[in-house]
Amino acid sequence: MIQAKNRLGIIFFPAYDWAISPTHPEREERLLYTQDQLWEEGVFDITGIREYKPDIATADDVRRTHFCFPDVGSVVTESHLISAGGAIRAARLVMEKEADKAFALVRPPGHHAMKIVHGNRGFCNINIEAVMVEYIREHYGPKRIAIVDTDCHHGDGTQDVYWHDPDILYISLHQDGRTLYPGTGFIEELGGPNAMGRNINIPLPPMTSNEGFAYVIDNIVLPILDDFKPDLIINSAGQDNHYTDPITNMNFSAQGYAMLNTKLNPDIAVLEGGYSIQGALPYVNLGIVLAMAGVDYSHVLEPDYDEELMEQDREITQYIKKLGTRVLEAYFDPRSVAGSRGMVNSYFVRKKDVFYDTDGIREKQLESVMVCDECSGVLKVETVSSVNPISVGIQIPVNSCPRCHKEGYRMLEDAKKSGKYTYVKFINRKDREYLDF
Amino acid sequence: MFCGIDVGGTHTDAVLVDESGIVAASKIVTDHKNLVGTIRESLDKILHEAAPGSVEWINISTTLSTNAIVENKTEKVGVMVSSGPGVDPSGFAIGDHYRLIRGSIDHRGTVVQDLNAKDMKGALKEFSKKKVKVFAVVSKFSTRNPSHEDQLSASLQDTGDYVTRGHRLSGELNFPRRITTAYYNSAVWRLYNEFADAVEKSIADHGISAAINILKADGGTMPLTLSRVIPVETILSGPAASVMGIIALCHIDEDSVILDIGGTTTDIAVFAEGAPLIEREGISLNRRPTLVRSLKTHSIGIGGDSVLSVADAKVVVGPERVGPSMAQGGDAVTLIDAFNFSENAGFGDESASAAGIKKLADEHGMEPGELSRQAVQRAADVIKSEVHMILEEINQRPVYTIHELLEDKHVEPKKLYIMGGPAKAFAGVLEKSFGLPVVVPEEFAVANAVGAALARTTKDIELLADTEKGQLIIPSIDIMKKVGGWYTLSDAEADARQYLLEYLKNHNADTGVVPEIVESTSFNMVDGFNTVGKNIRVKCQVKPGVLLKFGKAPEIQKTETEA
Repeated sequence: MIQAKNRLGIIFFPAYDWAISPTHPEREERLLYTQDQLWEEGVFDITGIREYKPDIATADDVRRTHFCFPDVGSVVTESHLISAGGAIRAARLVMEKEADKAFALVRPPGHHAMKIVHGNRGFCNINIEAVMVEYIREHYGPKRIAIVDTDCHHGDGTQDVYWHDPDILYISLHQDGRTLYPGTGFIEELGGPNAMGRNINIPLPPMTSNEGFAYVIDNIVLPILDDFKPDLIINSAGQDNHYTDPITNMNFSAQGYAMLNTKLNPDIAVLEGGYSIQGALPYVNLGIVLAMAGVDYSHVLEPDYDEELMEQDREITQYIKKLGTRVLEAYFDPRSVAGSRGMVNSYFVRKKDVFYDTDGIREKQLESVMVCDECSGVLKVETVSSVNPISVGIQIPVNSCPRCHKEGYRMLEDAKKSGKYTYVKFINRKDREYLDF
Repeated sequence: MFCGIDVGGTHTDAVLVDESGIVAASKIVTDHKNLVGTIRESLDKILHEAAPGSVEWINISTTLSTNAIVENKTEKVGVMVSSGPGVDPSGFAIGDHYRLIRGSIDHRGTVVQDLNAKDMKGALKEFSKKKVKVFAVVSKFSTRNPSHEDQLSASLQDTGDYVTRGHRLSGELNFPRRITTAYYNSAVWRLYNEFADAVEKSIADHGISAAINILKADGGTMPLTLSRVIPVETILSGPAASVMGIIALCHIDEDSVILDIGGTTTDIAVFAEGAPLIEREGISLNRRPTLVRSLKTHSIGIGGDSVLSVADAKVVVGPERVGPSMAQGGDAVTLIDAFNFSENAGFGDESASAAGIKKLADEHGMEPGELSRQAVQRAADVIKSEVHMILEEINQRPVYTIHELLEDKHVEPKKLYIMGGPAKAFAGVLEKSFGLPVVVPEEFAVANAVGAALARTTKDIELLADTEKGQLIIPSIDIMKKVGGWYTLSDAEADARQYLLEYLKNHNADTGVVPEIVESTSFNMVDGFNTVGKNIRVKCQVKPGVLLKFGKAPEIQKTETEA
């Protein structure tokens, strides 16, 4: 019988009774053929691979991560709490050493969900990796965590949640935002003033193939991880770089995804997007599972796989090499790349327009963060959207210094007194206090 | 009247029962070299009570196939496996004649690559050179499209005596298990058929024309004629027979744990709302998982004859068995002796038990009472922690819909049923240890044979309808038909029930049973933004059950305890 090198826990939750709408890509059928493939391959009979039930995330798990307007109950359904709970279960398996690695094969996804949530954007309501990361820091103490997002779309939500957090390194590999939703994720987006260089975007040209991804991992991602030295590596494992994906233009394969996982060697993987549910997902998921477990995956091939068609243009190869140089420069010397616009007194201020494509909601945000040498900085975000009147979220970070801590409470009192805001949300990560007014 | 014979590892138990209860019973030592002789002798002992023609069926549980596989006394099998891409199929190799054939079928049942004629020729050549006479052919996703297995089987038609096709064993998806199961099926095929011939003859010699059925690991039966083509289904039926016996002897209608305590081992089974739980995938044999459906039973190395020893001033129970015990006139100090000493279990010769316990305690400088108490406690602790683990596994079983996850069904035992030789001795201690009421059924000593006698037919099938392809398949009973776009989930449920009953009828099985739908789902298949069809999946089963129950209803029991 086959023996896995790594004990791998798989949380498989296909939510067979939930869809955004009957013909939406995020529908009941999405993981059906993945289940068929994994079961037929006898994956769970491999010694060392075990299946687990997801946890159900609580409202508190969401509240410590997001500002939800008007409240958690209005923007999440059970399906979101279960997919986030699946990610949490994966984290628990690894943190409690019940497994060496874990893969949350769950839906719906989360990486387009930002710090503030008014509804669903890019098929995501809450950011399931972020809910998991905050669960880890809440229960297992401070950690340096790297999230490597290999979904084809820029994970603008995860970028937003951790924009000011120097302990979380977010690296996104995606199809260039000039050619694909959500249109962001450029090299210059490097993080806020307190976390500059902790947000790394690698926008790849359309038709990047296995060769290009291998180059990016070997020459960009791994050197950065070597420098950052994370306690945990999380793969936000979207599968839409696949050559059969209906809504993207990349040339990646199941072999490529498996190879990427072997090189990256993540502790936890969490499924994100990927909507070629028959031609890609069964094979990509099988490849990732085997790679994480340390089982031979050299025979995993899509039925229509053609090596010749997978060859990468020389121009693309050249482009990626140049891109690599720029990304490394941005990581190691971020201030030479990003400007220092937006300073107002001790605060760094930025305005954002956010569109929730799935729900058709428009939102305007005014975000200010204390520029601080000692912690991630107290954060305040004013928000108004087509579904909620002007409201505010205030956050005291988990590593807060006394000044930012005090400032957070002052902001809260001011916000309550002003009468300007319909909803006031307060996250005090340091003292685990989460308040709604 | 109904006759049940359980050919076990040590003893063969046989009973004759009717509506009034047990009419005749026998217990003899199993002669493993002559199982048919053992069955014949058992029949001799019980059938004199029966009027000719009054026996409706004879149900037999046999260890024949299990032992042949475990002791590696099986015939060589030529295995042809067509895997296509995926996990490296060389890791599933079994037997000395395992050949990979190029070719592939995908998860929708679409042929991606035809079978490679050269590979097939090469395999045939090897098989004929090595004089292999029985075969197993398995392709990945053959339960979605059996055509490759059918082609492989056809290629072997003139070379041998029997070919097992993987898709005929089960509709479940699990390629490695399908390979193992098909291999075992062919490996015991000849041996089993010789046994079946002898059993038929022996019963005919007794002048009986009763139906003959064979017990399966899921606690159900199948007609002897059917067992000739799927002999692998006869493996590990012993523990299931005992569980079915408990159902017949006790009125169980709530979550409960059943312990069958033997000399060497204790078998644990769990009931949810009165029904025995079935293993999610299939039973393992020789550490290889198969697709053979079974009741969820778990065996641990603690029994009445488990030898006691002392290590670092701690009493160890088992796992070896060095019987017989002092109580039974032997010279080994065993668990049952400890029960006699500290629980006054009254099993055999209590004074011999006491002498043994005292001697062992002296050797290790312990108080006999302390040694005995520790042994009893240790046994109870091990059994309890195993039961706890099994319940944990059952309650953590994955589900795939939000509805089921939120519903969070849990099994919480309310009662403990104990059977087997030392059952009465263990009852008091286990009652305390579990904090649950304990029931020891009266005819526990032959419960296994009673279970065999009263067990009914079981069968499970999996239907898949793909309306985009316009196809319906029930692989294990060889049904394929065309369906149109209008085909619905309720059509599929009705078809599943009907095909299952027809199958039982065609095989002269016990047809007074009711098929139930256990899983039923329909997925819209979408291409782009258009619905192109439905993917319908229905699992239908006749679940294990008994023909008669002798147990008193719980209401009556309640009145009795109150009085």
